[in-house]
Amino acid sequence: MFKLKTAIAFGVILALAVIVSACASNAAPITAPTSAPAATPASGGVVAAPTSPAASGALTVNGAGGTFPYPLYSRWFYQYATVDPTVKFNYQAIGSGGGIAQITAKTVDFGASDAILNDSQLQAAPGLQMFPTVAGAIVPSYNLKDTDGNPITATIKFPRTALADIYLGKIKKWNDPVLTQANPDIKLPNKDIIVVHRSDGSGTTFIFTDYLSKVSADWKQQVGNSTSVQWPVGLGGKGNEGVSGVVAQNEGALGYIELAYALQNKLTYGLVQNKSGDYVQPTTAAVQSAMADFGTDMGDKLAISIVDAPGKTSWPISGYTYILVYMNQTDCAKAQKLTAFLKWAWSSGTQYATELEYIPLPDAVRTAVLSKLGQITCNGKPL
Amino acid sequence: MSQAMSLRASRTRYALRKFINTLMLSLTGLATLFAIIPLVWIVVYITREGGRYLSVDFFTQLPTPVGVPGGGIVNSLVGSLIVVGIACLIAIPISLVAALYVADHPTTPLGVLVRFSTDVLSGVPTIVVGMFAYALVVLPQRHFSALAGSVALAVIMVPPVLRTTEEMLKLVPRNLREGSLALGASNWKTSLQVLLPAALNGIVTGVMLGIARVAGETAPMIFTAFGNPFFNTDLSQPIATLPQTIFVYAISPYQDWHAKAWATAFVLIAAVLGLNIAARLLTWWRTRRLRLA
Repeated sequence: MFKLKTAIAFGVILALAVIVSACASNAAPITAPTSAPAATPASGGVVAAPTSPAASGALTVNGAGGTFPYPLYSRWFYQYATVDPTVKFNYQAIGSGGGIAQITAKTVDFGASDAILNDSQLQAAPGLQMFPTVAGAIVPSYNLKDTDGNPITATIKFPRTALADIYLGKIKKWNDPVLTQANPDIKLPNKDIIVVHRSDGSGTTFIFTDYLSKVSADWKQQVGNSTSVQWPVGLGGKGNEGVSGVVAQNEGALGYIELAYALQNKLTYGLVQNKSGDYVQPTTAAVQSAMADFGTDMGDKLAISIVDAPGKTSWPISGYTYILVYMNQTDCAKAQKLTAFLKWAWSSGTQYATELEYIPLPDAVRTAVLSKLGQITCNGKPL
Repeated sequence: MSQAMSLRASRTRYALRKFINTLMLSLTGLATLFAIIPLVWIVVYITREGGRYLSVDFFTQLPTPVGVPGGGIVNSLVGSLIVVGIACLIAIPISLVAALYVADHPTTPLGVLVRFSTDVLSGVPTIVVGMFAYALVVLPQRHFSALAGSVALAVIMVPPVLRTTEEMLKLVPRNLREGSLALGASNWKTSLQVLLPAALNGIVTGVMLGIARVAGETAPMIFTAFGNPFFNTDLSQPIATLPQTIFVYAISPYQDWHAKAWATAFVLIAAVLGLNIAARLLTWWRTRRLRLA
């Protein structure tokens, strides 16, 4: 009898000990220094980092938000762990809407969103500031054969309002005069345009519909600008991969996707006429030109739409992605790490952005952003 | 003459019955086969897709971002162990004690209430349980945490473990309990030393199946354990789990991450299958030992 009681007592104590030790062992060292990938000499440091005495209290800064910047942010935080091993940034891509909701509920230390917060969202989270990190471009991608039956690999040019009219269902055929006049060298077929759009709420849709609203009064009035809209025509696909999948399966299909995704997957994409009437390639320079066009007007909100930029060398459909941070922080240690990280991201971090086809901030924008970052306080005191 | 005719008739009848028997047997065999096919298919497909990505590094390295080669899932493996382990510590004692009560007092108002509410609870979608844990643990703490994930999994785990335990306790012959009580053992001693050991096989199986069930839960993890690309054993911090890692990798637009999703799925399936097989072996081994004793 006695043995059993003792056994039960031991069991309970053991269970408690497990819980307590698990709670106490903040960042237990895992010593698995297996051969680190040669590409990143410092990556071994990530694994070994927790063993250093300074890291015994390694801080975790948590963030949540959009999927569009996720590949870049995860790369940044991975690299930054070697720059400052005393802090770990944990970013989870739960969507822009989720990111805004979580930072409003203060369950995360920073949020992330591709969409610009509207007034009611900002009112719900007093003191929340948007910081642009990088930008991305959106391109129209298509799958089409010419009148001879050969796949069209040449870049089709889309006049300024053509995409709006196609997505409104006004332009129905590939050989519509609007398109044939802009593309005299391409034998566009007499085929229906199969319009493809995102089925999920997305920052890409926000930027694309923002563009359509700017160039077409009809679009602005009938459909508007949001992360998901009531599409007048077309098929839906989830995510960039969903849209490009639907485009790939349907001859005559046209969809909008992120440039980074199009480049990585070698998809055919067209050019869009900008506000000054020029067709420019969607390069880093062309998007930075668009950013610079609006750079001086960002104001206190640090958030601005950069679609339909007026510059001659500007790509017309692009947008910023933002990190959401409270201007007055409550945890000073985390606040310092977060601002230090953002400064790094806007300087040394830009190489990873370029590598992953994101567009870093031009100097004009960076200056504005850095000065705002310097105004972050902790419990009312400057950092 | 008539005897020969009736003999022939009975032979035809016999042949017909034999034919129907064979037909039905093969039909049930076929149906069984169809029931097994999805499982075999899943296992074979995941092994083929995920198996080729497996390496020692995959089990010992932390995840790498897109564009950096290599990387593993050690954080998710350890995370799943921790989250499910804590969920067991919460759920199993509650389930066992509640099952003892319910098996003992099946008709009392409380017994009926407990049975009814566990039935309802087992029908609640797991994402709702995740939201419950978010509201209960994450929001007040203003922090996603491994503990929140464990709470969500514990809530999901209680109904199956409680009901299996109850059924197993009901199977223990009444004579055993009466014999124990007649010898002067108190109620709690009878429960702990007679009923539980006699039903242990079934209970262990129930617990293992409960663990196997929650180990693959994705939906309640997203808003509780949250995920973490770094190694973490701190219960108050976000933590990665296998199903959530599969989810993140699978919805990404990158080939490399898709391969990792398959490999992670393979690890998860292997762990769950292994747990199931271990449960059966344990039962078998115990029964054999009892029989020998």
